[in-house]
Amino acid sequence: MPKTRKLTLMAMLTALSLIVFVIEAQIPAPVPIPGVKLGIANMITLVAMLVLGRREAGLILLVRIILGSVFAGGVSALLFSIAGGALAYAVMCLTLKSFPEKMLWAVSILGAAAHNAGQLAVAIALTKTAGLLVYAPVLIASAIVTGAFTGLGAMYLTRAVKRLDKRA
Amino acid sequence: MNMKMKKWIAIFAAIFLVCIGAFALLRHFGMQGTVAVIRVDGEVYEKINLDTVTVAYDMEIRTEFGYNKIHIEPGSISVTDADCRDHICIRQGTVAEAGVPIVCLPHRLTIEIEGGYIDA
Repeated sequence: MPKTRKLTLMAMLTALSLIVFVIEAQIPAPVPIPGVKLGIANMITLVAMLVLGRREAGLILLVRIILGSVFAGGVSALLFSIAGGALAYAVMCLTLKSFPEKMLWAVSILGAAAHNAGQLAVAIALTKTAGLLVYAPVLIASAIVTGAFTGLGAMYLTRAVKRLDKRA
Repeated sequence: MNMKMKKWIAIFAAIFLVCIGAFALLRHFGMQGTVAVIRVDGEVYEKINLDTVTVAYDMEIRTEFGYNKIHIEPGSISVTDADCRDHICIRQGTVAEAGVPIVCLPHRLTIEIEGGYIDA
């Protein structure tokens, strides 16, 4: 992929992930359980990993997290975002090669679970309330549902982006 | 669908069911507890023995993180008003047993019911 093309695609994916992140933050939580959300922005991280590479995906994620906390959330949310994002990124990097492209949803589930684990750890550290650990099972269950959804979305999105790339 | 796909679908489905079951159990079979511990930013803000409460009352908590109104009744506690963004703390409802704590993450506030002792 030519350099300019790569840079443009990275910029576009960053903007896209920021938009979905900000929009998702406005949607009221469907269940009264802190930390349960779709995580659509993670779709973009996965697409970037597959189309551009892990390093580029990491950069896009970093910029999205920092800008995301500027537009929605604030400093407190930044801590949660970094912990969740970094863990999810690490787990997805490690597991991406272990699954075929058709099973991207499994990678996404593992990433979502890692994200929720990171956020729960920050929540327990900040509030010093160990009792929050009872939310762990429900956060894992929610990661399985939302991770599968965003993973499937990322798979189809990746195919579409690769098709476009071939045509160009 | 190949074997690997089936295997992982089964694994995730099993984990999902176990987790949902575990959370339902934790929620419905809470342990005995009477002391509500309210924490803000990791510090104990207030401890209330819910067994000694005879008349329901409200308590307003205003901190640098935001505002929450706590409703205390004989034997139970809930958040009834807050200026946080998601209002998850209000929607978590009333708790009366130790088990699942109420949490308002934007305000770093948690309400947890602990055993019948005060170690303040």
